[in-house]
Amino acid sequence: MAEISTQAATTAVVEKKEPWFGKKERKLLTDPIQSNNPITVQVLGICSALAVTTQMLPALVMSIAVIFVSASSNVTISLLRNYIPKQVRMIVQLVVVATLVTIVELVLKAANYPVWKQLSVFIGLIITNCIVMGRLEAFAMANPPKRALFDGIGNGLGYGAVLLIVAFIRELFGKGTLFIGTPIAMHIIGPSNETTRYWINTANPNSLFYGYTNNGLMVLPAAALFIIGILIWVQRAWNKKLVDVS
Amino acid sequence: MELFNIFLKSAFIENMVLSYFLGMCSFLAVSKTVKTALGLGSAVIFVLGITIPINWVLNEFLLTERGIFKTDLTFLRFILFISTIAAMVQLVEMVVEKLSPSLYNALGIFLPLITVNCAILGSALFMVAREYNLAESTVFGLGGGVGWFLAVVALAAIREKIKYSHVPPALRGLGMAFILTGLMGIAFMSLMGINPAELMAASGK
Amino acid sequence: MDSTSYILRFVLTMTTLAAVLLAGMLYLTEPAAMRAEEVFNKRAILTAVEKQLPKPLSQMSNQEVLSLFEKQVEQHVINMKGEKVSGMKAEKINLAQEKKKPEAERLLPLFVYKDAQGKPYYILSVRGNGLWDEIWGSIALEPDMNTIAGVSFDHKAETPGLGAEIKDNPAFPAQFIAKKIYNDAGQLVAVNVRKGGIVDASHDVDAISGATITSNGVTEMLQRGLRYYEPYLKKIQAENKQTGLK
Repeated sequence: MAEISTQAATTAVVEKKEPWFGKKERKLLTDPIQSNNPITVQVLGICSALAVTTQMLPALVMSIAVIFVSASSNVTISLLRNYIPKQVRMIVQLVVVATLVTIVELVLKAANYPVWKQLSVFIGLIITNCIVMGRLEAFAMANPPKRALFDGIGNGLGYGAVLLIVAFIRELFGKGTLFIGTPIAMHIIGPSNETTRYWINTANPNSLFYGYTNNGLMVLPAAALFIIGILIWVQRAWNKKLVDVS
Repeated sequence: MELFNIFLKSAFIENMVLSYFLGMCSFLAVSKTVKTALGLGSAVIFVLGITIPINWVLNEFLLTERGIFKTDLTFLRFILFISTIAAMVQLVEMVVEKLSPSLYNALGIFLPLITVNCAILGSALFMVAREYNLAESTVFGLGGGVGWFLAVVALAAIREKIKYSHVPPALRGLGMAFILTGLMGIAFMSLMGINPAELMAASGK
Repeated sequence: MDSTSYILRFVLTMTTLAAVLLAGMLYLTEPAAMRAEEVFNKRAILTAVEKQLPKPLSQMSNQEVLSLFEKQVEQHVINMKGEKVSGMKAEKINLAQEKKKPEAERLLPLFVYKDAQGKPYYILSVRGNGLWDEIWGSIALEPDMNTIAGVSFDHKAETPGLGAEIKDNPAFPAQFIAKKIYNDAGQLVAVNVRKGGIVDASHDVDAISGATITSNGVTEMLQRGLRYYEPYLKKIQAENKQTGLK
């Protein structure tokens, strides 16, 4: 985390009179999605959340939870930044994050119980998600609330984007479905029967996909690692500046 | 026997890093050389072995209906657990510094990193979710630590060797580390289905 | 450097604020969460008799599930001798907790679903171990206390695509329908989940390929779980004989 704090401290600029949502704010929001992605470039927050990428629905819920927690904790810490005693900085940050995460958990339990059951332990782990902690330490402690808000949302989005890409690949090739468990559940590929119709029916002998079966590797935890490894490869091959940053 | 079973399961079969991705950030960060991997790995075993029993006691006697407040305070669990971990890490750091400067030099710089290592908080949350008792939790914590240690040292050893191979430039470093971790995860999967209890029964009699 | 008293005051104020905030959130969300949990558990129980329900569970609203449960499901608690324990509701029994008691002191939940014609289906709860962690299920019996009317399974952490198929693949529980739990000699044999094809058509179902341990876990869970209920099953069978029912 030390490396990032120096890197971000240089990006923290003294505030002048500027439009409420100017170029700098846009950059704060969009940078983390591609060129400074928390997962593939900053190597933060890979932790537990990958365990929830077998399907789109839990990945989506997790992304929203992380965006909420990282944005609101960034703002809170930024507001308190001049009052927090330096010696207990870490604990104060952890308590703020833990409170916000507990709120997310309570709301999720009431709103969607099955997803809460599936995610219960992993929601708690947002507390130690290095993205949240890393941004608090590197950005919110040195920047005003508005900037901190955009930084928090931007990093949450960058994180969510990777989660959703991984979940998309894993659910489509591992289960043949997308967004299962939501009102827009799609059955893409698989053998149709009386209860479920797939877009590509693998039970039809005339179909090009006759005899296709889902890839068992995709539902294993290791698949998430392979997919991210390949994502990093693609991103760095495309954006040569990122090669060997870590 | 049950305890031994839990230890094997948490160290190998349900490895913290390789099957739950817990503690991945520091896992990738320190696995560049075997030396740092050994340092952080032992610090993780140490801290897990201490914080898991403490968190178990706090959870049982402060937060549940059986505890001293007689009410369900489980909504405070996250705050309590993470504060305990942060406080314990700080305490351990001070004690180690006083008692054994050489150990402090070896582990010292890694200890602060551990507070935000998800493997520590994750184990505490798993311990609650799986309703382990005190002895089981302690063994589970130690097993998890040993598993994390093994995984990080193994990956570091591989990464030291792979430095000399012709990896495409864009895949070098981080990308390769991910793919290697995935392959190790698959290798660890071959241990699944081993039921330590049955194995002991078969060989013991 | 901040003074110690400032640090203490800061930390105390912050933790108190956090605790109050969380207690408030809990107060607001708890009723909804409790209801969501109740609906979730009741849906799981009704899945075992889904074929007998007026319409599929997925098309029922939460309100409909609760009112159906209220009107058409009787709840009993029975002890290991097969006697009904009065003054308790089956939904209050937690099998995971019961497992920790000595065998003779355990209590068993029993749900009786009556369809529109008043025909009763007895839903028994069983719990056992899969590959990774616990598995559990509901077994619905016809009034003869021998023929299976339907089953549903769930699990804590089986491998998606392999062991998790006991829940995810509707074809697996569907195999159990119309199997018998007693053999011709009147012994309780339950149902075997057999690898490599069915041998005994009335007591065997096909195992899930690649998930031998979970499959064996299901067999063991059924044999043990149904044995707990046997004193009660025998009693009802004896009553059936007396009243001339089959």
